[in-house]
Amino acid sequence: MRRTRPAVVATALALVLTTACSAPREGTAAAGRPVSGGSLTWAVETEPITFNPHQYAQAKARLLVWNTFEALLTHDTQGGYVPWLSTGHQVSADGRTYTFKLRTDVTFSDGTRFHAEAAKANIDQFSVDGYNPSVRAVQLRNLDRVDVVDPATVVFHLRQPDVLLLDFLSSPQGAQVSPKSLKEAKNLKAGGPDLAGTGPFLLDHYTAGQEVVFTKNPAYNWAPAGAGHTGPAHLDRITYRFLKEPSVRVGALTSGQVQIIEGVPATDEALITANPQLSLSRGLNSGSAYSYYFNTTHAPFDDLRVRQAFREAVDVDAVLTGVYRGSATRAWSVVGPTSPFYDRTLEKTYGGDAAKANRLLDEAGWTARDADGFRTRDGKRLTVRLVQSAPFVRDRRDVLAQAVQAQVKQSAGIDLNVAVVDQGTATQALADGQYEVFDNSRADTDAGAALNLLLHSGGAINRTGFQDPALDELLEQGQAASDQARRKTAYQQVQKLTITDQALILPLYAPADQIAAGTTVGGWGFEPAAGVPASAYDLWLSR
Amino acid sequence: MTLALPRPVARRFTLRRPRPGLTAAGLVLLVTLAAAAWPSLFAGDPLAADPLRVLEAPSAAHWFGTDQLGRDVFDRVVHGARHSLSIGVAATVIAVGAGILLGVVAGLVHRVADEALSRGFDALAAFPLVLLALLFIAIAGTGTTSLIVAIGIATTPHHARVVRAQTLVVRQAPYVTHAVAFGASRPRLVLRHVLPNVLGPIPVLAMIGLGEAVLIAAGLSFLGLGPQPPSPEWGAMLSEGRGYLHIAWWASLLPGAAVTATVISLTVIGRHVQHRFEGRPS
Repeated sequence: MRRTRPAVVATALALVLTTACSAPREGTAAAGRPVSGGSLTWAVETEPITFNPHQYAQAKARLLVWNTFEALLTHDTQGGYVPWLSTGHQVSADGRTYTFKLRTDVTFSDGTRFHAEAAKANIDQFSVDGYNPSVRAVQLRNLDRVDVVDPATVVFHLRQPDVLLLDFLSSPQGAQVSPKSLKEAKNLKAGGPDLAGTGPFLLDHYTAGQEVVFTKNPAYNWAPAGAGHTGPAHLDRITYRFLKEPSVRVGALTSGQVQIIEGVPATDEALITANPQLSLSRGLNSGSAYSYYFNTTHAPFDDLRVRQAFREAVDVDAVLTGVYRGSATRAWSVVGPTSPFYDRTLEKTYGGDAAKANRLLDEAGWTARDADGFRTRDGKRLTVRLVQSAPFVRDRRDVLAQAVQAQVKQSAGIDLNVAVVDQGTATQALADGQYEVFDNSRADTDAGAALNLLLHSGGAINRTGFQDPALDELLEQGQAASDQARRKTAYQQVQKLTITDQALILPLYAPADQIAAGTTVGGWGFEPAAGVPASAYDLWLSR
Repeated sequence: MTLALPRPVARRFTLRRPRPGLTAAGLVLLVTLAAAAWPSLFAGDPLAADPLRVLEAPSAAHWFGTDQLGRDVFDRVVHGARHSLSIGVAATVIAVGAGILLGVVAGLVHRVADEALSRGFDALAAFPLVLLALLFIAIAGTGTTSLIVAIGIATTPHHARVVRAQTLVVRQAPYVTHAVAFGASRPRLVLRHVLPNVLGPIPVLAMIGLGEAVLIAAGLSFLGLGPQPPSPEWGAMLSEGRGYLHIAWWASLLPGAAVTATVISLTVIGRHVQHRFEGRPS
């Protein structure tokens, strides 16, 4: 009996993965055979805060990164690694030495050649003070040094085994930037046309608040094995227009002002599916679920009972039905349901019990009520603040927050204060600890990478402030073990500890991306493993 | 909103005819005032959300339908009257108060200072009101208080110019020159003789200014610069509902209708009062 279990789990996972990843090159059938040339306009929800892949932070901007930059590895549809700018890699028996063979036919768009020295320079760049301290402290924590053996061979030496190195080398932050432009770029951290990569497109220009335009890189000839074609991109030119309003994006598509959009709200899906000239597809993201993280460093969430009460006060199913019209997948764990590490046993173990929420709050001493119906203790209202940074608000998460706000008020008398602010204000509030709830989702292809950032005591976005050597130990086990089953065990314990035992997190939904396009557009789809919209490399326009 | 040109004398014959427009405006204003004064008497909790009844069309249970969080739009519109009107009134009080002060000073002081103040008013009046208010909010930050002050400051020059013009007229009046001849002190001159006589047009101006203030307040709230969610402010409701306009028009159109009806009513009545004040029928 015990032996059949992993097989069942593996089959279920394979099913989830294939349904989640079967989307690539969705529009091909509708539009016929790929055509070369033409220019396309794509309306996107999120404006990137940087064009430097090393500074990447927004999952919604990931589709732009791979237009101009590429990494050593990428993913196949099964979630495994395939070579991109490399031709293969070997791991030593002790798991501490990764030897990569690199492609020798790749050129950066500034004319310099890609070779082992360049790969090393990209890693070394993270040692520059203030460049991206969080990558150095988290993703590259176990990296000792990078050695160049010959122009086509580079060796990563680790202090201790770390399987997440491969995830890093396939992520936007591990993308390869021309060392020449790393030295010469005018504004390195913001990126721009002068930051050269090896991708199938060149960044032509960026107009803040409006659009970013890419043109074809005619020299491109090193597509990875899983791509839809080889050689240069089909399109001559692609424009991404930043249209923050969902209804404006849908309107721009239905009126033909743009040919393809991403981020289709559930309320508007019927408009797309009812139109024979348009098609729609959805992909579940990998990484971590969209969740609320409770700040345990001060009152009231330093009290486990209050954290549990907040979670019980929200009827997540009802909220998701209201805001997303049943199109959202509820999350039960911080790990997304498409991840192999997802712990299914957490499902239906908590939440939605208003009576229990009230009992817990009574026990915690929040017994009195003020004139507005909010609970108080010692004359102080039970107020918790959620600060949302505008560039990261997607999928109507501001509306979702208001729905949760109404729920916790009605069911338990908790005052959830929601503010959508600019990035600078949000960063300041988080740095000063002026928040009780932090919202986040990450689209890391390996959920372990997200957990390291979010839950490890040294994590760059450990906004719960929760410190526990046992939790760190589990996370490090998950990072070190090369055996997938051992990783899964470690990460399941992480989930049990943070979700069930400590109630640090209120998981809400599994982030998904939607693409809607006219039937003249082909080659669109989702990135394997990550589940976010793919780059423009395979896109084409008929006629 | 300068004082209107004289109308043809023939209009005088319509004086005693019933005026449905004015009556309707009066009714709308009465209803709005009642809603602002006792919202709970007419409507339920504007914050009560039911996530399973979102964006429902108007019905017997929900007269104005429900919004994107399943809140009753009617309840919110009724409670919104208090937000919108109080912001408008407070901003108008600031504008009128500051306007009187600056206008009287400009009208009485030395020529150079008067020139400086007047050119200041002209410069401020040259900017669109919303732009001025936006500028202030950009400096002071968002929120109800800053919205009130912003609108108050933006509409001050208009009131100040009228009061200054009135002060110049009153200053030349025989009773003032006589008082000066009799050796009246300056404070006494201002308080006893000038001020009471320049205040005449103020209620009229305030009435029209109120409509304008309510409109600007709704506009700025629409941009997210006024009361923050979940406050049931009309402009904010219009803004929150706009993403659902094609599937649920009621969530944004009905708060919008409330703003429109209120502002039109205030303006119609303001104009009427103005015409009566100027001794002309409206």
